[in-house]
Amino acid sequence: MNANTNEAASLAEFITRIQSPDDAISGPAWQGAQIYGPAAIQPLADMMGSGDFEVARKAKRALYIITRHAGRPGAADEARAAESALISALRRNQATVRREALWMLSEIGGDRAVRPMAALLTDEEAREDARAALMRLPGKRATAALRAAFRAAPEPFKYALADALRKRGAQVEGYPTRKLTPSKQTTVTPVVQRLPAS
Amino acid sequence: MNKPANRLSRRRFLRSSALALGAVNLAPSGVLAIGGSPGANGRFVVGHIGVGGMGMTHVFNMLRFQQEGKVRIAAVCDADDNRLEAAVNNAGAGVIPYRDYRYVLERKDIDAVLIATPDHWHAVQTVHACESGKHVYVEKPASVTVREGQAMVAAARANHKAVQVGAQARTAKGGWQTCRAIRNGIVGKVSRVSCWHYANPVDDKPVPDSPPPEGLDWDLWLGPLPWRPHNQRYQPANFRWLLESGGGQIRDRGAHQFSTILWCMDADHQTSFTVSATGRAPAKGLWDCPIDMDVVYEFNNPDWTLEWGQPGDKVGQTEFGNAFWGERGRLILEWEGGYRPANPEAINFKLPPGGQEVYRTDEYEDFNMNHKADWFKSIREGHLRPAVDIEIGHRTATLCNLGNLAYVLGRKLVWDGQKQEVVGDPEANRFLNRPQRYPYVL
Repeated sequence: MNANTNEAASLAEFITRIQSPDDAISGPAWQGAQIYGPAAIQPLADMMGSGDFEVARKAKRALYIITRHAGRPGAADEARAAESALISALRRNQATVRREALWMLSEIGGDRAVRPMAALLTDEEAREDARAALMRLPGKRATAALRAAFRAAPEPFKYALADALRKRGAQVEGYPTRKLTPSKQTTVTPVVQRLPAS
Repeated sequence: MNKPANRLSRRRFLRSSALALGAVNLAPSGVLAIGGSPGANGRFVVGHIGVGGMGMTHVFNMLRFQQEGKVRIAAVCDADDNRLEAAVNNAGAGVIPYRDYRYVLERKDIDAVLIATPDHWHAVQTVHACESGKHVYVEKPASVTVREGQAMVAAARANHKAVQVGAQARTAKGGWQTCRAIRNGIVGKVSRVSCWHYANPVDDKPVPDSPPPEGLDWDLWLGPLPWRPHNQRYQPANFRWLLESGGGQIRDRGAHQFSTILWCMDADHQTSFTVSATGRAPAKGLWDCPIDMDVVYEFNNPDWTLEWGQPGDKVGQTEFGNAFWGERGRLILEWEGGYRPANPEAINFKLPPGGQEVYRTDEYEDFNMNHKADWFKSIREGHLRPAVDIEIGHRTATLCNLGNLAYVLGRKLVWDGQKQEVVGDPEANRFLNRPQRYPYVL
């Protein structure tokens, strides 16, 4: 077999082992995911959509291990490959996968990731994660993307985007912070109100 | 590097600092001169945010202060109505229950709040409380990221508020006896401090996501964390075993032990260090903190090493503790639940000629009460620097958080304490901040 076939076989074996119900097999598999690198990102993203919640969780953890390993100093090529694969994951049907891909890109993403991440600022299921994840990306491009989204966003989401812009040093007219505005009521009553009428 | 005064001269240091602040007037004990607190007879009006396990301890402490005429409890708050009901029943008549802590912060009559929510809430609620004019007692660890800790320090200073972090050993008798013994050479120069602690638990019964229980406001419980469906294995106390929230034993007991160790070593100013970590991840389940863990911190100038071990090298008898290894032997400080006396060698230690005494507030035998008394004292006296001031809490939490980060990234980190960044590691520096979910933002 040639090197590519060996690699494919190894990756296939890894994917099989992660799905093993035997923790002694699946545990070491996902915990050592970094050796499979960015090539494993797409099949793991597939697995995150699995109906088995523990398999999905292990796949997610393997993805984070691969992402964080790719982001180490001196591994720019690997980081770029991981970034590309994670950008593809942003288009997945499952909201969970899109949200986790956003957070992974917040750890290693560069300018290339901004536009695809910003596209999710209009995705109701993922927009708040997109907003927060973009806040972690350095540079003007992320700020510009947040600004563009602010102009087009529905009214309630503008407050959150305004907060993100201000934290990045941008000026925003209106939409003051709502962080100190209480909104939730309890049904618990003070002790004095429960005393029986005399 | 700034070395905070922490000796018997602390009173003189703090008086001169307070005078230098300008806007603060020293006043007789019992009457506060700083705007907003407290009221008649120097009594503090307090609110409790988070009334679970440790939160109820704070309520009971405040009830005792209330009996002594030093405090009035005005509010209790929790995202879980079941806990809130228990708290308001214990706190008694005249105490208003709230779900949303921002109602507590709106109240002009409340001088101070005690925050005992899960770790991921500490920074946001502390900053909001300071911005709302409240002094704060916040549970340890202070924060879950470095930037959160910085924001807490900035908020305390900008709003002239006393923020005490709940690492009580710095005001407890056992910690104090150990500190004065170590600082005055009981084992000579210390080159290494080791910690032992039992393992983090494993979620061996994972369950799928499910609706939150009746009475729990899941959105409010999550607060700053990214949204996810409720899972029974998150809370109430199990948040401790998730890296994003509780951060495991190193951020729980480690916050206690590291705070005390830095105090004993007179090393609060040693903010730069390297950190490396290894750990054994659980194979399954919701909880992702490593089961076993070894973390090594190296400080320079003076040179010494701090080791966190789960299980570590258990040289004492109790469930967790630490040992100071010096030129002339070792001194053990054992921990058991909340408190344990110092070892006899430290208790019986006599200061040598020319030795330096160590200051601590000594008003209550109960270490929880005493730590809060220290906080109140810092407010009454006007210096606003309690024993575990938020700057110290932030530095301690930084040790814990970077230990976890070194484990997560699987590589050694070089921490520049002056610049507050990891040297040469852009990915690691992204982890110094975790943007919060709106509107639960700094």
